[in-house]
Amino acid sequence: MVDAQWLVFGASVQGAAHLRSGKPGQDAIFWTGPPDGYASVVLAVADGHGSAKAFRSASGASFAVRSAAQEVRGFLEAQIDLSNLSAIKRIATEGLPQEIVRQWTEVVEQELAAKPLTADELQTLEAKDREAVERNPLLAYGSTVLAVAVTKQFILYMQLGDGDIVHVSDEGEPTRPLPKDDRLFANETTSLCAPGAWKDFRVQFQVISERQPALIMLATDGYINSYQSEEGFLKVGTDILKMIRDEGPEKVKHELHDWLTETSEKGSGDDITLGLVARTDLFQHQPSFLDRIVNRVIRN
Amino acid sequence: MPVLPGEGLGRRPLHFIWLADCSGSMAIDGKIQALNEAIKEIIPHMQTVAGENPNAEILVRAIKFSDGAQWHIATPVPVETFKWPLLSADGVTDMGKALSMVADQLKSPPMPDRMLPPVLVLITDGQPTDDFSSGLKDLLNQRWGQKAVRIAIAIGDDADLECLQKFIGHTELSPLKAKNAEELVRYIKWASTAVLKAASSPASQPKGTPVPAGNIPIPTPPAPGPGGATDVW
Repeated sequence: MVDAQWLVFGASVQGAAHLRSGKPGQDAIFWTGPPDGYASVVLAVADGHGSAKAFRSASGASFAVRSAAQEVRGFLEAQIDLSNLSAIKRIATEGLPQEIVRQWTEVVEQELAAKPLTADELQTLEAKDREAVERNPLLAYGSTVLAVAVTKQFILYMQLGDGDIVHVSDEGEPTRPLPKDDRLFANETTSLCAPGAWKDFRVQFQVISERQPALIMLATDGYINSYQSEEGFLKVGTDILKMIRDEGPEKVKHELHDWLTETSEKGSGDDITLGLVARTDLFQHQPSFLDRIVNRVIRN
Repeated sequence: MPVLPGEGLGRRPLHFIWLADCSGSMAIDGKIQALNEAIKEIIPHMQTVAGENPNAEILVRAIKFSDGAQWHIATPVPVETFKWPLLSADGVTDMGKALSMVADQLKSPPMPDRMLPPVLVLITDGQPTDDFSSGLKDLLNQRWGQKAVRIAIAIGDDADLECLQKFIGHTELSPLKAKNAEELVRYIKWASTAVLKAASSPASQPKGTPVPAGNIPIPTPPAPGPGGATDVW
């Protein structure tokens, strides 16, 4: 199964609570894959913090997914000797998080130079928050970021902050490739805007062997928080895999936005973003579907 | 509409817990009656706040402390059906025991990671008569105890403000001092509406950055009244 092909798609919806309050969605998703001429797939999702002082976090999340995808894509293209997986792993785990944070910070600083924080934005903050943002304007853009790269030789999982990465086996068994981060509790999260953020990344490098995942899903935390149990959430992966097999990816792609919207309404009320990478040998419809996949950002 | 993937959608639980002093001194000058009336009065306001955020499942209970402590409302009650059984006052002020019992209920698991930060509202007119520090330690040893929004309301001048400040856990919010029934209603209403609202829709807070004390930005409490002849406590 070394030459498996992968299909990537996803959706992002504005949370029910955000719709009620008139707050914009602060999640983002971005991917690149075979339809764009790449042999590998890169997918990223992000969740802007949305707090009072993270008033530009919708942009922060958008920058996060693009920065992660750009840096991961650049990293993949720079690897000439794909047989030396231990060297690739070392660079991926040690260097890539720094590059993603550096790139995100650079993009944020470029925007700040072009569009400085305004008095209107700052005046809505309490004094202590205003001082904090004036000292570190990155706080206004605070965001998590989750990314996965799937190549013929390996899969790379990266996560900073809350959210979930799940891979699902051919048998429909969902597992988490990354260890739990106990710091992510209550509404506190590690973040791109924190000093030394690169050290807070969790990274897993998985060499592709005979058994590859059938499906990989990346989700912002509005999704898991909508389920009463971890098991109920993990079953999403099992169910989507079954639907892709039984009804094809077109059906799932068509329904995804409505599923996430209804899930937010009945669950957490938060923005929900779900990105999926599916092995194409699981279904029969990939040629027509692949032709129509485009590289884009979906953000409400 | 096809069946959604996954199993068991649900709103995020938010546990709101009253910790009420029922020591003998609360029987003096109508304090316990004022407390009973204040909580009864604000129930519709709590229900309104809950109705505005249908993604939070607000569950209310209460613990009372005097000679020891016991659950006044033991089973978490959905705020939509919450009623307040009247308290009576007698005995000493075993506040530490109440904190330990609340800590026991906040253990995670069984409390899920997905729930919203609990709100604990401690109302007292006196000095703890048992090991307050041990009770507070028990509470703060629980992750949800640490992350709970902790509000303290002192009735009259005899409450131990130092203990209440330790209960709150940071200096940006002080114990609220009610000198009369109107102030008590105002503070209880604030805790059970403005604070509840903030806790029920929290935004993410980045770790490792300067953030306000506590993980939930606490709204500004009501200003104290003008004082004077209406102050009875």
